[in-house]
Amino acid sequence: MEGADEELMLAYRDGNDSAFEALYGRHRTRLFRFVLRSVKERGMAEELFQDVWMRVIEARSRYAPKARFTTWLYSIAHNRLVDHWRRKGLSVVSLDDDVPVASGDNPERQVEARQGLQRFARALEALPPAQREAFLLHEEAGMSVPEIAQATGAGEEAAKSRLRYAIAKLKAAVADG
Amino acid sequence: MADERDPKVSQRYRELGAPEPPRQVDEAILAASRRAAEMHPAPLVPPTGRRRWYFPVAAAAIIMLSVAVTWHMQVERPDPEGYGASAPAPAPAPAPAPAQKPFTPDPPRESRQQAARDAPARAAPQAAPPQVAASRAEERMRESAPVAGARAPEDARRSEAARADRALGKISEQAVEPPEKWLERIAALRKEGKHEEADKALAEFRKRYPDYKIPESALRLPK
Repeated sequence: MEGADEELMLAYRDGNDSAFEALYGRHRTRLFRFVLRSVKERGMAEELFQDVWMRVIEARSRYAPKARFTTWLYSIAHNRLVDHWRRKGLSVVSLDDDVPVASGDNPERQVEARQGLQRFARALEALPPAQREAFLLHEEAGMSVPEIAQATGAGEEAAKSRLRYAIAKLKAAVADG
Repeated sequence: MADERDPKVSQRYRELGAPEPPRQVDEAILAASRRAAEMHPAPLVPPTGRRRWYFPVAAAAIIMLSVAVTWHMQVERPDPEGYGASAPAPAPAPAPAPAQKPFTPDPPRESRQQAARDAPARAAPQAAPPQVAASRAEERMRESAPVAGARAPEDARRSEAARADRALGKISEQAVEPPEKWLERIAALRKEGKHEEADKALAEFRKRYPDYKIPESALRLPK
């Protein structure tokens, strides 16, 4: 089903379930990564991911395209993550065991690549939650600073500062590798 | 913001992989979305726009219909003292009273006033409407009362028999006598020489008992 995200969501609000399937297909992978890299456990990430979409379904009658659908979707995810962080603490999923390594390279190259990704993962995990969230929203949802500010309820200057600090730290981790 | 993005950081982030949600999570979410779409509850807010007048018009129509039906039922309510409440089986009409006039609708007010001016003497019967009304009400009660309606044929038969007996006079009184006594009385009349009276009684006796064997004492034998 074609159409902008907002049109699809309006169609689903009016009873078109195929519109939701199209919308879900567009955003499922990015949203799942956003959630997965914001929490520690994969099982918890799946539970939170499903809960976010359930909230989208429940809130369909109240949806109004005041902003991009992506902003609305990640706002819901942000609120759900905030609830989770308040209960469980702050963390991102450990990437030590499942860092993919490109095949075909020589073993030394593979080890070097793995070590570089692990450093990057640890740097991402070490980011303050607000900075990490800003970075994930920027990378996964393709949000601009104003959109990040809107989704997280922060001011634009704060969102811009968080994103800038996050990128600077991650850039240093890349440079070290 | 394009100026915030660092290509190397983005590339390294992509190298972390692209994990996806498991299939069962996808299915659960899509199933929930379909269920919600099928329910598609009606809006709880009142309709707006062109449909805004639906509810007031429908409510007004229902109220008007209810009032009209109630008023019509009161107007058409069967009078418990009227003809509609009489016994379902039509009772035989009683003997018409000689003084009773057939029902005619009341003339219009102008006609009544004109009649009053033209014939003052006739104003006297009109001056007693309560009596007429009472008479009509009594007549309606007689005709409409179920018990009275069922009793009417019996009363009519009794009155008819009484009239016939009165017409027969003395002879009819003999009819109720046993035939033996009736014949003995005829024979006694003949002994007394009252043959005409005895012949009339014998004629009546033959009408009543045509196959009865009459003794000679009751007969006037030719001399």
